[in-house]
Amino acid sequence: MSEATPSEAATLLSDPSGRTGPAAPGAAIRRVIAVLWQWKGFLAAGAFLLLLAMVLATPHLLTAYDPLEGDALAGLRAPNATHPFGTDRLGRDVLARTLYGARYSLSIGFGATAISVGFGVLLGIAGGQKSRLLDETICRLFDVISSFPGVLMALLVVTFLGQGMLNVAIAVGVAGIPKFGRVVRAQTQLARNADYVTQAYIYGRSRAAVFFHHLLPNVLLAIPVIATVYVGTTILAVSSLSFLGLGPQPPTPEWGVMLAESRDVLRIAWWPGVFPGAALTLTVIAFTVIGNALQRRFERRG
Amino acid sequence: MWRRILSRLSTSLMVAWGSVTFAFLALHTLPGRIEDILAGDLDYPGLREAIATEWGLNRSPAEQYLDFLLRIASGDFGTSYVLRQPVGGVLGSQVMPTVQLALAAGLLALVLAVLAASATAGRSRSARALAALLELLFASTPVFWLGILLLMAFSFSLRWFPVSGAQGWQALVLPSVALALPTAGLLAQVLRDSMEKTLEQPFVVTIRSRGLGEWPLRLRHVLRHAALPAVTLGGWLIGGLLGGAVITEKVFGRPGLGTVTLNAVLSHDVPVVLAVVLMAAFIHVAASTLLDILYVLVDPRLKAQ
Amino acid sequence: MASPIGSVSSSRGISITLLFLVAGFWSVSAMSATQTTTPKSGGQVTFGVTTEPVCFNPQRSEQQNSFILSRNLVDSLLAKDVSGRFLPWLAREWTVSADGRIYVFKLREGVTFHDGTPLDAEAVKFNLDFVRDKANTNAAGQLLQAVEHVEATASHEVTLHLAKPDSALLESLASIRLGILSPKSLQSGDRLCSGGPALAGSGPFKFESYVRGQSASFVRNDAYNWAPGYAAHQGPAYLDRLIVRFLPEYSVRAGALSSGQVDVIEGIQPTDIGLFKDQPGFQFIIGPSGAQTSFTLNVNYTIPPATDIRVRRALRDGADIAALVDSVYLGTVRRAWSNIAPDNPFYDKSLDGSWGKNVEQANRLLDEAGWTGRDSEGFRTRDGQRLAIEVGYPQPFVRDNRDILIQGLQAQLRKNLGFDLRLRFITGGEWAQQKEKGNWTIYPNTYLPADAAQELSANIGEQGFIRGVADKGDKELFRLINDALQATSQDEKTRLVRAAQRRAVDQAFIVPLFSANYQLAARDTVHGLSFETQLDSPSNFHDVWLTAK
Repeated sequence: MSEATPSEAATLLSDPSGRTGPAAPGAAIRRVIAVLWQWKGFLAAGAFLLLLAMVLATPHLLTAYDPLEGDALAGLRAPNATHPFGTDRLGRDVLARTLYGARYSLSIGFGATAISVGFGVLLGIAGGQKSRLLDETICRLFDVISSFPGVLMALLVVTFLGQGMLNVAIAVGVAGIPKFGRVVRAQTQLARNADYVTQAYIYGRSRAAVFFHHLLPNVLLAIPVIATVYVGTTILAVSSLSFLGLGPQPPTPEWGVMLAESRDVLRIAWWPGVFPGAALTLTVIAFTVIGNALQRRFERRG
Repeated sequence: MWRRILSRLSTSLMVAWGSVTFAFLALHTLPGRIEDILAGDLDYPGLREAIATEWGLNRSPAEQYLDFLLRIASGDFGTSYVLRQPVGGVLGSQVMPTVQLALAAGLLALVLAVLAASATAGRSRSARALAALLELLFASTPVFWLGILLLMAFSFSLRWFPVSGAQGWQALVLPSVALALPTAGLLAQVLRDSMEKTLEQPFVVTIRSRGLGEWPLRLRHVLRHAALPAVTLGGWLIGGLLGGAVITEKVFGRPGLGTVTLNAVLSHDVPVVLAVVLMAAFIHVAASTLLDILYVLVDPRLKAQ
Repeated sequence: MASPIGSVSSSRGISITLLFLVAGFWSVSAMSATQTTTPKSGGQVTFGVTTEPVCFNPQRSEQQNSFILSRNLVDSLLAKDVSGRFLPWLAREWTVSADGRIYVFKLREGVTFHDGTPLDAEAVKFNLDFVRDKANTNAAGQLLQAVEHVEATASHEVTLHLAKPDSALLESLASIRLGILSPKSLQSGDRLCSGGPALAGSGPFKFESYVRGQSASFVRNDAYNWAPGYAAHQGPAYLDRLIVRFLPEYSVRAGALSSGQVDVIEGIQPTDIGLFKDQPGFQFIIGPSGAQTSFTLNVNYTIPPATDIRVRRALRDGADIAALVDSVYLGTVRRAWSNIAPDNPFYDKSLDGSWGKNVEQANRLLDEAGWTGRDSEGFRTRDGQRLAIEVGYPQPFVRDNRDILIQGLQAQLRKNLGFDLRLRFITGGEWAQQKEKGNWTIYPNTYLPADAAQELSANIGEQGFIRGVADKGDKELFRLINDALQATSQDEKTRLVRAAQRRAVDQAFIVPLFSANYQLAARDTVHGLSFETQLDSPSNFHDVWLTAK
C-alpha cells in the first residue's frame, strides 16, 4: 500500500531542477538569488525547523514567562507588548506555553516515530531473511496492524495502557510499524541478492560482518528520509489524541491540550487557540516539505 | 483474473482472522487478570463471576480462543460491564451516523480532489503553486482544529448550519467538510502527479488532435487513467475517514461511534472499545478488498491475465 | 405525635415563583418574561443538557446531572419548598414518633405509575426494601441506613421503623434518589439504567424514547394529578413533549440556543453568559446554592504529607481563592467558606472570612514543618522529597470549568509556596477502588443529598471518603457528625452540624472553593422555569409553558 504524501506540493516549493530559464550570463549574484528563490520552500522550512530546534533547546531565552504560572486576575488579555500572544484564561502567557509546548508535542512525535522505526526495522529485516514462513508471518502481521484505522488502534492501546505521554507515543508508534517494516523488508530482500553482498561472502567475510558492514547500511539508507515526512504525520496524530484528553494532562502546555482548552473561550478570545494551532500546522508543513525534498534528492541519486 | 480475485479474498479473510487473533492475544498478554481488565475497574458483587462465566475463563486458552472467534464471527461482541448492556445494543444505533459521515466526507474529498487536480495539472506555475500550497495546508491541519474554525464561522456567526445532531442533511455539512478537506488535500496531490504523467502520454496527443476540448479530455479520458494509482489509496482513505470520524464527532457533538468509543476509552470499558476497533478493521478490510477487486476488473492489463 | 423537624403542611400547592434573595453584586436575575398571560397547554420544548446519564435510574445513579432528567419521570413521597419545609407529594401526610424512630406515611390515593400499576403501600415498601437490599447495589441505599424495617400497615399507609433516629430521613425521602418507581419496572433489573419506557415512575412525563448519544424524548402523562406541594398548578403538565438533547460541548450548547435549535440549556460557560443575560429574546437564571455541597477539596489527612496540619493549612491559605473563583466564573458563583452551601439553613455563617489567603503565614508553616529545601523546578523539599499532593479527579465528574479552577489553584500554590498540587484525571472505577482502600489523596467534589448532616457524614464522616482508613480518622469530627445524624431536635442538630463544619475547616481537612449552582438560559417564549430546592438543579418541566414565538 502506498502512502499519500504531499509530495507534489513539496516539489513545487523546493525542486531546484527548475523549469525557469537559464540565469543571465555573468550575473553571479542574480544566479545565487535565482537558486535561493528556487529553494525558497526548502529554505523557509529549514529556517523554521532551526528556529524550532532553538525553541526546544532554550525556550527560556525566548520568553521570560513560565508556561505554568499565571496571574488569574489577568486572564484572557489580548496580545500586547508584554504578552505578544496574549494570555489564556488563567493568565498564563500564551507565547511561553506555545514555545514550551514544542517540547512536548515534538518529543512525543519523535518518540512515536522512533517506536515505528525501531520495530519496523527489526521486523522488516527479519522478514527479509531467507525463511519463507517468517516472511509470510511478518507480512500478515503488518497487514493486520494496518487493518486497524490508526486513530482507533491508538484508542485501543490507550484503553489498555491508560492515558499519558508515553502511552500515546506507544499508541501512535505501533500503528506506524508496518510503514517502515514493509520498506525495510523490501530493501533487505533486494540487498541480500545484490552483487556486493555476494562478493563480500566470496571474500570470506563472516555473516555478522556482511550484515553490519554491507546489508544494514544499505537497508537503512532510506529510513531517515521517510521518517522525516512521517514525523509530521505523527505530530498530527499525537495532537489529536491529546485534544481528546488521552495524552499529557493539563496544565502541560502540549499543543493538542492547549487547543482543547482554548475551545471554550474561542467565542471571545481567538489567541489562546490560534497561536498553538498555527505552530502545530507550520511544524507539520515544515517536516513534510523538508522530508519530501530529501526524498526527491534521494530518489534521483538512487 | 478470477484466481487473482479469489486469492485477494482469501488474504482478506486471513487478515480479518488475524485481527481477531491479535485482539485476543493482546487481551491475554496484558498484565493483570482478564476479569479485572474487562470490568473496566468496576466492582460490584458477582461481577467478576459473571465475566468469568461469560468469557469461559475457567476453560483452556485454546477453547477460550475458539469460543472468542465463534462469538465474533456470529456478531456477538459481549457485554459492556460499565453500561450493563450488551455491546451490540450499545453500538447498534451508532453505526449509521458514523458511516454516513465517513461516506459523505469521502465523496466530498473525492470530488474536491478531482476538481483541484483536473483544474491545475500541467497548468500555469502560479495556479499549481496556489493549489499545492492549499493542499499542503489542509493536509497539515488537524481535523479537530478545522472543525472548530468551521463551527465558529458557519454555525455560530453565520448560522447557515445547525450546531450539532444528526437530523437532516444540514447537520452533516460542516462535519463532512472538516473531515474531507485534509483527505482531499492528500488525494489531490497524488491525483495531479498521476494526471501530469498521463497528460504526457501519446494517446492524449491523439485525442487533442481530434479537437476535443480540454475539460472533456481531462475528465473523460485522462482522469480514468490517472485514477488507477489513486484507487490503491482507497484502503488507506477509508481507514483515515473512520478514525477521523471519531474526532470530528467529538468536536461537533455528533452522535455516532466516536462519542461512544471515547466515553468507553475514558471509563476503560474494554469490551466496547474492542468491538469498535474490530468492527472498523472489518469494514476497512472489506472495503479495501472491494476496491482491489474493482481495480482488477477495471484495469485492462490485469483483466487480460 | 408531632413532627419535631419541619412542619407538616396539609395545605394544597403553594405557588412559588422563582425568588432567591441574594445581596450584593451576586444577584439572581428574575424571570425576564412577565407573566401577564395565563399559562396554556401545548407545544414542545427542546432542552440542551451537558450530561448524558450513564444510568437513568435515580435510585442507582450517582451523577447529579442525571437527576435533572429523571425528575421529569419520577416523583417522591415528599416535596421540599424554598423555605425548607416539607410538603405533601405522593404522601398526603405523615407523623414522626417522639423518639424519632417510627415514621408513618399516608399515601395519596388514585396515583398510577406509567405502566398502569397503582401506587399503594406495597409498592412503596417494595421500593424502599429494594433500595436497601445491598445485593441490588443501589447508590441510594446509603440514605436508608437507619431504617430497620418497612411495613405496609394499610392499603395506603406505610410505616418505617428505625434502628436509631435519623435527622435526615425526611430530606432523604424528598430526594429523587429515593423516588418511587413501579415495582414491575424495578424488577426488570439493569435495563432500567438505559432508560426508555421500561423506566416507569409516576411523574408528569413518560419516557417515550431514547437515542444514545443524541436525545431522549419525554411525553406528557395525561393522568397526572399529583403535583408536589410547591407546584404552581395541579393537573397534567402544560407541554405535550419534552425533548432532551445531549450536547456535551459548551460552545455547541450555547450556539444551539442562540441559533434557535434548542429552547433551554443548562451549563453555561461564564464567558457565554453575555449572549443571553439581558439580551432581547433570551432569559438567563441562576439557581440556589443550598442543597449541594460547595465544590470542595477533601484532603485525605491520613496520608503524608497531609498528616501534618501545617501542610494542610498552608494548602488552605496559600492561594487567593476568591480571586481565582472570580476570574474563572466571572461573578456567577460565590467563593465558599464551608463545604455546606451558603443557602443551606445549616451553614455556619461565622466561617465567612475566617480563613483564606495568607501566603506569608502559609510559607512560615511550611518552613516550620521542615519543607525548607527547593528542587530544580522551585518546589519545596524535605529530605530530598518534594512537597507534592495529587488531586485525583474522576473524569466522569469533570464539568463546569472545575478542572480549570484547580489548575489556577495549582499555579498559585506553586508560585506562592512551592507546593506541587498535582492534577490527574482518573476513571470512575479507579476512584471507587481508591475509596475502598483509603489511598486517595485529594478528592474534589460537590455532593447532593441536601441534608447537611447526611452530607457531612457521606463526605467527611466515618462513612465518608475516608472510610477505608476510618480508624486513623479524626474522632472528634466523626463524633460531631454522628451525633448530628441522630439529633432529635432542630437546635441540637444545627449546633452539631455547625461545630463539625468549623472543625473540618479549622483542621483544614477540607478546602472549600466555591458554592456551585445551576444556571439556565432559555428563549423568552419559555415560561415557568424554576429550580428544585431539594436538588438545586432545574425543576421538572411540569409548570413550564410556551407563548407563541
